[in-house]
Amino acid sequence: MAEGKRNESLMDRVWEFFTSLKLAIFVIIILAIASIIGTIIEQNQPLEKYRQFYSDGTIRIFDSVGLFDMYHSWWFLLLLVLFTVNLVCCTLDRLPRVVKVVRNPKTTLDDNLEKTLGLVDRWKRKGELETLAATYREAMTSAFARPRVTENAGTLHLYAEKGVISRFGVYVTHLSIIIIFIGAIIGNVFGFKGYANIVEGESASVIPTRGGTTKVDLGFAVRCNKFWVDYYPSGQPKEYSSDLSIIENGREVLRKRIEVNDPLQYKGVWFYQASYGSAGATTVTVGVNAPDGSSRETVTLSPGQKAEIAGYGTISAIDYQGNFQGLGPALLVVLEKPGKQPSQFWLLESYPEFDRQRRDSRYLSFAGINEIFYTGLQVAQDPGVNIVWVGCTLMVIGIMIAFFLSHKRLWIRLSRGGDGRVDVVLAGSTNKNRLVFEKIFEKIQADMKAVKV
Amino acid sequence: MLNVRLFDITTLLFGVASVNYVVALYGKRETIARIGTWVCIAAAVVSTVAIGTRWAESYRMGIGRIPVTNLYESLVFFAWSVNLFYLLVEWKYKSWTFGAFVMPIAFGTMLFAFTNESSIEPLVPALQSYWLHAHVITCFVGYAAFAVSAGVATMYLMKAKREKRNVTGGVVALFPSTKILDDLVYKAIMWGFPFLTAGIITGAAWANYAWGTYWSWDPKETWSLIVWLVYAAFLHARVTRGWHGRRAAILSIVGFLATIFCYLGVNLVLSGLHSYGGG
Repeated sequence: MAEGKRNESLMDRVWEFFTSLKLAIFVIIILAIASIIGTIIEQNQPLEKYRQFYSDGTIRIFDSVGLFDMYHSWWFLLLLVLFTVNLVCCTLDRLPRVVKVVRNPKTTLDDNLEKTLGLVDRWKRKGELETLAATYREAMTSAFARPRVTENAGTLHLYAEKGVISRFGVYVTHLSIIIIFIGAIIGNVFGFKGYANIVEGESASVIPTRGGTTKVDLGFAVRCNKFWVDYYPSGQPKEYSSDLSIIENGREVLRKRIEVNDPLQYKGVWFYQASYGSAGATTVTVGVNAPDGSSRETVTLSPGQKAEIAGYGTISAIDYQGNFQGLGPALLVVLEKPGKQPSQFWLLESYPEFDRQRRDSRYLSFAGINEIFYTGLQVAQDPGVNIVWVGCTLMVIGIMIAFFLSHKRLWIRLSRGGDGRVDVVLAGSTNKNRLVFEKIFEKIQADMKAVKV
Repeated sequence: MLNVRLFDITTLLFGVASVNYVVALYGKRETIARIGTWVCIAAAVVSTVAIGTRWAESYRMGIGRIPVTNLYESLVFFAWSVNLFYLLVEWKYKSWTFGAFVMPIAFGTMLFAFTNESSIEPLVPALQSYWLHAHVITCFVGYAAFAVSAGVATMYLMKAKREKRNVTGGVVALFPSTKILDDLVYKAIMWGFPFLTAGIITGAAWANYAWGTYWSWDPKETWSLIVWLVYAAFLHARVTRGWHGRRAAILSIVGFLATIFCYLGVNLVLSGLHSYGGG
């Protein structure tokens, strides 16, 4: 603290601390460094995983300072709070001054102001003050902006400005960060993130939250009608998709086939395709046909389940091979007929007539395996997300304003000199982008000097 | 594939241009630098055609997608952006001396790309989104601007060191004044920062649309935030605390190192949601 500021009150010192840019840069750098830690130590992993890398003692120390869930640890949140407080204080400290300057622009060019300006040109010429002012006013208007004219003790001042808004770009950006934080807090408090693994044909209405022990009752149910995986010719997965229905009060109110990057939304709850898996239960379809074609029926078999075929026997499927001796998918079935030894034989999906060789009253065909999947959905409700997007949009706008617009100001002073001629002073200033402004300045300068009165 | 041949030619041209600029600088031969500039322009044309060809070829293969989806493609897109940025800077600042510091970045990037798988692979489901275009393009234009800034920052440090020791002549005599270099270090970041911001935001929007979370502190996200914070610190230090010259130049180089780690290091060293982007 500088000399002579000793008698400041404590409040002033606290205020000065929170409004200082040193603090801002310090917090930004500490946030960056802290964030690195969380990318080196994998976050939210099971204990066994950490045991592979760290000793028990290290794990205890890391855990006590929250390094395994660092971005939600008390000290990281405290850093974010400090960051926000600093941001708010800096804004409250500086914004009123900027507003004041913008609302009361210096419309007259006095000597003190003139000394501070980068671009100044002065010359003398013949003519009347008022006529000159009128023509200069037009020159300024056409090349820059319409000036205000002020008269002060026989001296005429012309003042024009452009891009005042550039002074606010930085505050728009800062405000946007706070808006994003507000959106994030609302999302965290009033929203939830969960997941649901739903087997084809089944539905879920109570969703467990991610990482937590709580469950959320949606008030409606989501049913998975079907799940697909599509492949590229090369065998890589091309698309995962689920046919979902929303069921409310026993009625289907919405149905959509979702994919990765194409979710379903109902009453603010979003369902995203996240994963899938085999539900374990797999069925096969077997065709039971009369050799003369007079009867064709199909039966669906689950593992270990026997199916009775009226007037023929009982069949069950006991094995499946994706490629049986190079002949494609095949199913091993057991046929039990009353009063006979059970027989066991393979059915080939690619050769549906193959079983005719048994020369029985029925021949069987393998119509395909029906694998039952579950679809893995991520479920999210985030009432703050639109606020976050507003913040993000404002941030980009704010940065653009701050970087690419500049507050450009031009003054002309006309006064009657001692020799009867008019003293002309043209001065300009800009807070950014000097080169562009110099071109404008030179244009007006040339226009003004070319004026014949 | 034709596109890969064209990218190989681009690599060669970037190499020739880099050598030209370095030789021109140390041999003080303006003519060689002029040739370097034409080589850069030729490389810009060839690489643009190559990107277009790759795009068209992906459609012919029935995959049909923008060529910015794996490590190889992102590297060539980055090099393409760096080259264009360089040409813009040379033209605007009327100095070819930047070439010796910026073009080797493009050349090195292409050499690295050369060692990576270059075939056109179909997209995994997670990458099939229109957000991909906006996200990757904004990020890499930002990265390219930071590369230019770091190259110029190196020049600044070289020149400032010589001037401090009152050594005249030498290579740095050909550089623009330290004032211009310092200004360019800032200007390039001024362009890169909004692009990086937009890149992070489009990434967040995409993540939200694909997974339902716009921010999950995955290492790639976190590193992009770290890069953003470093440049935010640079901007605040410069605009309000008057950090110019040496300290600003060093911060620009630190920022670019963080950028490289965000881009490559995260995929090579750390794991996370962007692992498929590692090629």
